[in-house]
Amino acid sequence: MITRTFSNVVLAFIVFIWIVPFVALVSTSLRSETEAKTSGFWTAFTPTLLGQRFSTHDRGSTDEFVEMHGNIFERLNSGKSSFPISGEVESILVNARIADPDKPGKTKLIRELMLAGEPFDVRGGSLVFQTNGDFTWTFPEATAPRPKNLDAFINQDPVFGADAYIEVLFDNKNVPNALISSFIVTIPATIIPITIAAFAAYAFAWMQFPGRDWLFVLVVSLMVVPTQLAFLPILQGFSGIASWATALNAWITDCEITDTCQVASKSFASLWITHTAFGLPLAIYLLRNYIVGLPKELLQSARIDGASHLQIFTRIVIPLSVPALASFSIFQFLWVWNDLIVALYIGPNNASDLVFPIRLQKQLGTFKDQLHLLNASAVISMIVPVIVFLSMQRYFIRGLLAGSVKGG
Amino acid sequence: MRSLKLIIASNGLAIFLTIAFLLPMVAIVAYTATAPFDDALGRLGLAMRAHWDWSANEFDTLERFVKIGFAIRSVIIAVSISFLYFGITNWLNMGLARTRARDSIGRQSKIVEAIQPWIFVGPTLVLLVLFLLVPALSTLSLSFQEYDGTFSTGNYAFLWDPDSLGYLQFRLAMRNSLMWLILVPSTCIMLGLLIAVLADSVKWGVVAKTFVFVPLAISFVGAAVIWRNIFAGGGIEAVEVINGSTPSYQIGLLKALLGHTAAYNEPLYNLKFWGNFFLMWILVWVQTGFAMVIFSAALRGVPEDTIEAARIDGANPFQMFFRVKLPQIYSTVLVVWTTLVILVLKVFDIPYALSANDDDKLLLATMMENARNNWSIGGDNVDNLFAAIAVMLMLTVVPNMIFNGWRIHREQKELGN
Repeated sequence: MITRTFSNVVLAFIVFIWIVPFVALVSTSLRSETEAKTSGFWTAFTPTLLGQRFSTHDRGSTDEFVEMHGNIFERLNSGKSSFPISGEVESILVNARIADPDKPGKTKLIRELMLAGEPFDVRGGSLVFQTNGDFTWTFPEATAPRPKNLDAFINQDPVFGADAYIEVLFDNKNVPNALISSFIVTIPATIIPITIAAFAAYAFAWMQFPGRDWLFVLVVSLMVVPTQLAFLPILQGFSGIASWATALNAWITDCEITDTCQVASKSFASLWITHTAFGLPLAIYLLRNYIVGLPKELLQSARIDGASHLQIFTRIVIPLSVPALASFSIFQFLWVWNDLIVALYIGPNNASDLVFPIRLQKQLGTFKDQLHLLNASAVISMIVPVIVFLSMQRYFIRGLLAGSVKGG
Repeated sequence: MRSLKLIIASNGLAIFLTIAFLLPMVAIVAYTATAPFDDALGRLGLAMRAHWDWSANEFDTLERFVKIGFAIRSVIIAVSISFLYFGITNWLNMGLARTRARDSIGRQSKIVEAIQPWIFVGPTLVLLVLFLLVPALSTLSLSFQEYDGTFSTGNYAFLWDPDSLGYLQFRLAMRNSLMWLILVPSTCIMLGLLIAVLADSVKWGVVAKTFVFVPLAISFVGAAVIWRNIFAGGGIEAVEVINGSTPSYQIGLLKALLGHTAAYNEPLYNLKFWGNFFLMWILVWVQTGFAMVIFSAALRGVPEDTIEAARIDGANPFQMFFRVKLPQIYSTVLVVWTTLVILVLKVFDIPYALSANDDDKLLLATMMENARNNWSIGGDNVDNLFAAIAVMLMLTVVPNMIFNGWRIHREQKELGN
């Protein structure tokens, strides 16, 4: 019984640590810019004391009055479409010059916090405010004072809004571009290696050819080669191809006129091919181990009936291997979608074609002071992989286990 | 018999040459021929903008829709070319065999059978040789050359010699890489084991596991953004931003909990030396789910009778775990360890995103990027130094590679039986 309680408490604590960062992410993305950069996300859920500046009335009014009524919240929220401020006014900071008691004939600046209900002097009149924001400004005789800006400390109620999402998705063109680019990179870079690997896995599992076994060991052992080792030569190879393509382009088309002959060496196509190559060893390993376990009798009887390898592959092996195909496609999808380093070295580097992780890495710098935008952009980058991941969790776990626990 | 081998070889060569010529041509033609699709989609975008009165300006709308057009057709072309390959090669193989050995069906099928495996594994072998094997070897040879191609061990001396310019960064990168290598896998494994055991003993275990599991789907840069909210320093000087001042402008949760005042404005991961541990924690947060899932499955595979026997002998929960269950999943722990070590060595994104230019946080992988972009000290040898660092990175993986190779070898043997 004690161990049961202990388990619950410890596990709850760990899960809490795992969840808090997500709460921070989502809540920061839903706050206003000022709040996000001036107070911690944990203050977003409870009333928080924040300073706000309001002006007593609109500029240019010449109406004379003895007594003016107004409301601080109305003044603050006028002309604002989102994140309405509400709560309780705690105090108002007054900057004023009064006659200096020590030095006759001189004035001195005072900064004083005035509480609700205490009248204080503003432009010769007396101003009193209540905690609900109502204020009254009384003058001895009818006057038309200039508006006065006052700093109020307000115990603000929590307020959330989706403004940051609207801004990054519609006003800022980097995030939509990054989303499209990520899709352009990810879809072919997932489908192509699966197609290629499935054929190879079938050959390694069920076909006879010289050198089969040591070729398979070679392919699988490439799984652990750090990809960094390959970047520089691949890059040189692609720039070689690109200069050939540029020459070809100049020869075939009339691009010299518009000066558009240059074929980029770092492009989406180079990313597809590179991701395909890097993903193949794991794909072949997973698929081959699955395909080799399919019932031998089924394949043999199909052979006897005169089916060709291609027919067996497309009619029998592929339909039976759907779970293994699904689990590898999730791996590859997540890996390509989340990849930074391959895209950085080999992917396109013009601003509109950057994939999401590179864009996000740049935004860590550019949105340093706009944390609501940074966090909203991060949420958008995560939606796709998290949905894929959660909806196909079963296959993902199966793939993980097939790679590391025997019999999984 | 000799003539049959000759036919097989010549057929294979014919198929290879046809494919090597045909597929790039098809790709070029398909891309050029479908180019008007982009413009059509762009015009559609403009029409939609006019019709629904979108706020985005004309140029952006056009650019966005042209890009979507490119996305759609490039996905279709790229994917259909990879299918086309298998279709065409198979058709060629059948056709060629029929014309060359029309006299005997037996010879015909022998030719087809001999070539077919190579059609199936061909793309794989070509891609792996061109994109992993040859580049890895050429990086190795680059690392032993000066920029002008002469043989030299100078690049390694540049990193290892205490008097040379690269030594300081390289020493720090090695120190940090070793710390990551030891601390991250061991923390992940311990936490993963703990969570797997605890989750099995409570009712809401599945929910708990899902929460620990989700970070696996997130990019490392995304994780860096997430944890920035926790590790960040103070916000902007409040007085400047909003008028008056706010009582607290600490925006990082951990610093607020530690009671740090706003005076120290740096995020925690910028701390000298200790900052490394905060960066490591981000990776632990992402990867613990992986260890947990595998341990959870392995623990469920522990034979029930051994547990029952231990229970009858009066083992307490701790003895049960350390004496009975853990020894039985020991090989799984080793596998998780090697997988995580390989992952940690390649890790690049987190330190790159959060502390790109700080020597104190360098890892071998980030040092490579640093060398490529802003090393003036390397002179003309930058590429060669880059290669040398890559080889050092490779060397740190070798023990794991050997273990992994041995494991797969053993596994294949068992599968074969």
